[in-house]
Order: sequence, then C-alpha cells, then structure tokens
Amino acid sequence: MPRPPLSRVLLVEDDPDIQVVAWLALSDIGGFTVEVCSSGREALAAVSSFRPDLILMDVMMPDMDGIAALAALRARPAGYNTPVVFMTARAQPHEAARFRQLGSLGVITKPFEPATLAEALRGMWERHFN
Amino acid sequence: MKSDTKSFGDEYALALRRYLEEGGEAPLFRAYQMGRAAVESGMGMLEIATAHQKALLVDLLLMLAPQASARTAQRASEFFAEALAAFEANRRGFKEAASVLRGQNQDLERRVRAADQAYRTVREQLDEHRRIEMLKDEFVSLVSHELRTPLTSIHGALALIPSKLERALPEPAERLLEIARRNSERLKRLIDNILDLQKTESGLVAFDMRPLQVRSLLKQAIDANQPYAAQLGVKLMLGEVAPGLRFEADSDRIMQVLANLLSNAAKFSPPGDSVVVAAGRDGDWVRVTVTDRGPGIPEGFRHRVFQRFAQADSSTTRARGGTGLGLSISKAMVERMRGRIGFDTAEGGGTTFHFELQACEPLQRNEGACLGLP
Repeated sequence: MPRPPLSRVLLVEDDPDIQVVAWLALSDIGGFTVEVCSSGREALAAVSSFRPDLILMDVMMPDMDGIAALAALRARPAGYNTPVVFMTARAQPHEAARFRQLGSLGVITKPFEPATLAEALRGMWERHFN
Repeated sequence: MKSDTKSFGDEYALALRRYLEEGGEAPLFRAYQMGRAAVESGMGMLEIATAHQKALLVDLLLMLAPQASARTAQRASEFFAEALAAFEANRRGFKEAASVLRGQNQDLERRVRAADQAYRTVREQLDEHRRIEMLKDEFVSLVSHELRTPLTSIHGALALIPSKLERALPEPAERLLEIARRNSERLKRLIDNILDLQKTESGLVAFDMRPLQVRSLLKQAIDANQPYAAQLGVKLMLGEVAPGLRFEADSDRIMQVLANLLSNAAKFSPPGDSVVVAAGRDGDWVRVTVTDRGPGIPEGFRHRVFQRFAQADSSTTRARGGTGLGLSISKAMVERMRGRIGFDTAEGGGTTFHFELQACEPLQRNEGACLGLP
C-alpha cells in the first residue's frame, strides 16, 4: 500500500554533540519534523506521544540500548511497528546483517555525512514501502 | 598340537634315557633333536621336567645294576651340567632381552610423554593465541567505536558549517576550515583502515570467495577510482587482459586492494601521465599488474613497502592523504585470498605492483575447479 512521504523522525542518541549534528542534518537539511531523546527507554515513551514515521536510533546507549528498545517496541500490541534504522560506529558486516534480521530497515554508519543523512533515510523508506 | 607335544616329550625322554644308558654322539644328538622338537611344539618347563624325571627314573632303576651305574651317573651329571649351562645361557639371554625390552619400553614411554607434553603446549599456545587475537579484535573494535563517536560530531559539525553561514567566510578562515575537514576525513579513513587490517589479519571475518570475471572487475575498479586519479591529473587505463580470465576472490575485498594499488600508482605518477592495469595467466595463477611511470621506489625503502605506517617519504604521503596502511591491508587481504602480492621497481623508472590469485577454468568447462571442490 502506498505510504505518505517520510516526515516525522524520532532521533535516539545519547551523545549530546551528535544529537545536535544529526538534528540539524534531519531538520535543516532534510526538512523532517524531529524529536530527540537520549535512551531506548525515553524512545519507547516518545513513540506513543510523538508518533514518528521512523526511528533513527543509536545501537550502544546506556540504560536501554537500541537492540533492547527495538525488541520492547516490537513486543507491544499492534500499531507499534514503527520502522527503525540503526546508527552505529561498529558496523562490522555480520553486525549489519544481524540488525536487519532484528527487523531494522537499515544501518547508518558513524561518522555519517550530514548532507546526505536525510536522503539515506528516505531511500530506505522508499525501498521498504514501494 | 597337544598330542604332538606329548609324543615329542615321550620321544625326548626315551632318547635321553638311551643316551644315559649307552652314551655316544648319535644318541646325544637324537636326544637334543627330540628336546628341541618338544620345546618348539610348545612343551612347557613342567613337561620337560617330567621327561627328565622319566629318564632319570629309568636311570635310577638302571643304577641298581652296579656295572652300569658309575658310567651312567657320570653321563647324567655331564648332561645336566650342559643342560644347566644352556639353560643359564638362555636365562642370561632372556634377562638381556628383557632389559633391552624394558629399555625400549621406557624410551617409548618417554617419547609418548614428550609428544603428549608437546601437544599440550602447542594447544595451550594456540588457545592463548586465539584468546589474544579475540581480545585484540575486541579492543580494536571498542577503540574504533570510542574514536568514531567524537569524530562523528567533529565531521558532522564541520560539514554543517557552510549551511549555517549567512555570508562567505574570510579567505584564511575558509582555508582553516578546509584543513580541519580534510583531516577529519583522513582520521576517518585511518580508523576504517585499522579496523580493516585487524579484521583481515585476525581471520575472524569470513571472506566470500567466488569465481570472478577479471576483465569486468578491473573495468569496475578503474571506473571507481578514475575521479580520484583525475584530481591528480592522472588517467587510469585498462591494458591487455587475456579473454575469459577468471580468478577466485572476495569481490569487495579485491576491489579494495585494487583501489589501494590504483590510488597509490596515481599518487606517484606525474600529472598528465597514465597508470595501466593489465592481467594475464601465469600457470595456475592469474597475475594482475598495476604499472605507473612514477619515480620508482627508493632502494632503501623496498623491504619496508608492506609494513604498517611505512612511508618512503612521510611528507609526500601526508601531502597526498595516505594513511600508511593501504599496502599492508592489501597484502593481508591478498594472502587471506590464498594469493601473493609483490612489486618490481627501478629508481627513476616506474613501478609495477602485481598480485596473483588462483585461476579458475572458463565457466563452461569446469565450474567445480573454482569453488575449491576436489
């Protein structure tokens, strides 16, 4: 079924500097509506209130990491199958394959290019729904 | 067997008795033969003793006849002295044989113990080696994560500055920004390279070995690296490639090796010059060559070409944006793909880097040869 274009992105990242850079890249350059939070636990709460189209989430975070957050999200009753894209500084090939198995749309490797980050997310979104 | 033994025993006792009664060479020889036959047919010590007793018992009876007794007793004692001597000799022989056997046995045991010890040592060393490799891998992976996290914000912030400027920066500031950008790019490559090298050398990451068309692979590599070479005013060209040539490799990794060799050759070529890539069959191998007409590798540097962070002249390499890891990564990757890598160079006369990988037969003839099937 055809989906509306990607517009609301929830950014989950514990490093405050990367938060700023990614937020600028997504909102200023990408034109998305962005909400930022810094752990998997916060993200789970934000999913209900903010209702994002897509979640861009760091893998290694204190409190609740990206993988645990994805599992918790998928365990909720229907309606919470929000697509997730992981962000990681440790993208070994076998790790990327594992993330996909866990049900993520794709992986963004750190350091990412701010100029093309939004484009990359749109690409994954398109490939997933069309 | 058993009845033979019994009859040989009886024969022996009979022959012995005859010798004791009559004396002489022939009866003695007969007694000797029968004795041997009895022993060889499996007669035990107890049965031999029985035979001796039988002979002696007869002798004892004979001894009652006074005329025969002295001579018979004499012969009997001689015979038993001889038999005893032979027995003693055998016993010594047996003792010697036993001691030799014991010695050999101990020697064997020592060897088995030594081999066992050696095996255990090697296994412990292997376990230790594997443990260290895993620790190293984990460490490198962790460190690269720790380095990449701050690098992500540096790289991102630098990239975003232009979009946040209302007017152009003054020229010196623009130059400083460019320096920062270029070096964050280089740091990123360096971290990627260290990870690549570690992954390749540790053997913990599998290589996806497949038969690949050499010609199309080389074309692809040239296309991918042409923009970089063009920045340096150098042209990458495909030279002679034997038709139908295929080798077995991991395509991503071999592209990385080619990118390293091509960018190196471009870096060291004079502007306006070209770098030629070619491939041919050499026995069971496919040999790929990357040739430049640059200054050549200085004599004193040749033995260090594949070492990590080795750079003939660090100022030139730094100026050209190298990390000093490209060739050591290439070597590690080619060797993981069961190939070899090397170079020919003449100072002032250009350099040819070459690598060899196992050739595959053309598709239609023998697909199995390339998949490593027996």
